[in-house]
Amino acid sequence: MFKGLSLDQAPPISVVLRFFFSAAIFGMALSVLTILYPIHILTLADPFSLAALHLLFLGVISMSMIGSLFQMQSVLGGHPIPSPLGNSFIIHVLLSIGIVTLAGAFITQLAPLFVLSATLLGSAIVYTVFLILPLLFKSSLHNTLRGMRIALISFFITAILGIVMANAYAQGNFSEHHITIRSIHYSFALIGWIGALIIAVSFQVVEMFYVTSPYSDWCKRNVFRLIPAALALKALWLFLNLPYIWIFDLLLGGLLMGFFATTLRRLRERKRRVSDVSIMFWYSGMFLLFVSLIAYGSYLWFEHEAILTIALIAYALFALSIILGMMGKIVPFLVWFHLSSAGYLDTPIMSHIIPVKQIKALFLLFILTSLSAGIAVYYPPILRITGIFSFFMFAFLGYNLISALKLYRYTLTHSQRFEQL
Amino acid sequence: MILDFMRNDHRMCDHLYAEAENMLLIKESEKALTLFEKFSITTLHHFDMEEKELFITFEKRTGMMGGPTQMMRYEHQQLRSLIESMRLALRENRTDDFFGIGESFMIMLQQHNMKEEQMLYPMIDRALGSDARLMVQTLQEMVP
Repeated sequence: MFKGLSLDQAPPISVVLRFFFSAAIFGMALSVLTILYPIHILTLADPFSLAALHLLFLGVISMSMIGSLFQMQSVLGGHPIPSPLGNSFIIHVLLSIGIVTLAGAFITQLAPLFVLSATLLGSAIVYTVFLILPLLFKSSLHNTLRGMRIALISFFITAILGIVMANAYAQGNFSEHHITIRSIHYSFALIGWIGALIIAVSFQVVEMFYVTSPYSDWCKRNVFRLIPAALALKALWLFLNLPYIWIFDLLLGGLLMGFFATTLRRLRERKRRVSDVSIMFWYSGMFLLFVSLIAYGSYLWFEHEAILTIALIAYALFALSIILGMMGKIVPFLVWFHLSSAGYLDTPIMSHIIPVKQIKALFLLFILTSLSAGIAVYYPPILRITGIFSFFMFAFLGYNLISALKLYRYTLTHSQRFEQL
Repeated sequence: MILDFMRNDHRMCDHLYAEAENMLLIKESEKALTLFEKFSITTLHHFDMEEKELFITFEKRTGMMGGPTQMMRYEHQQLRSLIESMRLALRENRTDDFFGIGESFMIMLQQHNMKEEQMLYPMIDRALGSDARLMVQTLQEMVP
């Protein structure tokens, strides 16, 4: 039975916004940590660095991506997520407390916190995957759906490996496979979960929203075959300690470079020329992806730790750029959509819900954060300034969300509906 | 068969809309209005093709009367209303309003198109089987 998005089946606005608000709050927490402990954060595998890394990838990026999935699933996945209020509440609570306890566990090194965070985060992620993944197998298969499946399966694998590592931290006993497990955990999180989901969504969003030529069918079909194959083989090679493992990194890097080149071309040749801040976020995202890939390629060659840090920071900022750009569209659209669907006469148009100048200010703060983060890798004290910029960026994101919500509530209480006339 | 034909028609509507928008960007209001009318005619014709032929045939074949096609009809109504609001804004030279409404329209239209292309059209293709080619001919013969 078809259950695509109808006006009645769009999730309540609070479902999506709670994840976005939390992303802004975790972003501010990450910024405070960055301001207080800049040198620790730039030291790979330092407890503060690990806390910051998980605040960023789980608290900001995954939190936003799960929130977006509640909105996009019915459109891209074909079937809406059932009981969105209840399910989003469970996932959001487990995830939020899990992230706080995990960051706390890294900082304090307290064993019970590692166990608690693994339980909460594991539950949140497994619950999310088991909730959404079966819905993706009910619809007729298309490339975006294939990408979403791979993303969710990768998220599941990332969580399982995370639980194994948290257990090792709790016991203070690291097996001989710890570094292998960590590498696989990162690969599935960064490429399988974050990368595959962004690529899958891009295949739809870039072409349709900016009116571009379509991505080639060959690319769309094969990228979601090659990514899981390369990730699985890389994991196998790591476990068996086989040589030439860089081949899989090269393949994954090549795929992402192909995605960068084809997306950039489409954005430059887009038919809709309207100046739009979301386009600027897409451009900056693509540039950061390029920087990340070049830096990672250089790291494989030179094995210089600072270059690996640049690769990681640029990759996180690439994902964040796309997320912020999409949020700038999703939130005003949801407010407009819910109000106009309910028949409110004074429903504001999208550009009045979050004014363009506010989204431009957010973009400026994002650029300042990115530039200062790049400089900070070679001059660590600058990271404090990065923290200040990013704090204002996330605070401003929160402000944008609150002002959209206030306008939504104001219209609900002050505007007449068609049926009241 | 149906998927390819209707998807191409979606893209044509998108391109016409983008051209109208681009003309307005360079302050060519008259040309923008002409292109917008062209876009409006093409898009409304697309909705007509679906509502007067495609959906009815699909409903008769499958017996699914209140399901996906009903949802699409409902969304067509919302999109028609937005096209009318944009036309009014364009005629009254309220450019900012045109772009503002256009943003909501574009997201809604593309979500609508995604659902049709990813779910409904493949379902219709399966339901019509070898008759899909005949249906495309019928749709091509419909006059805007």
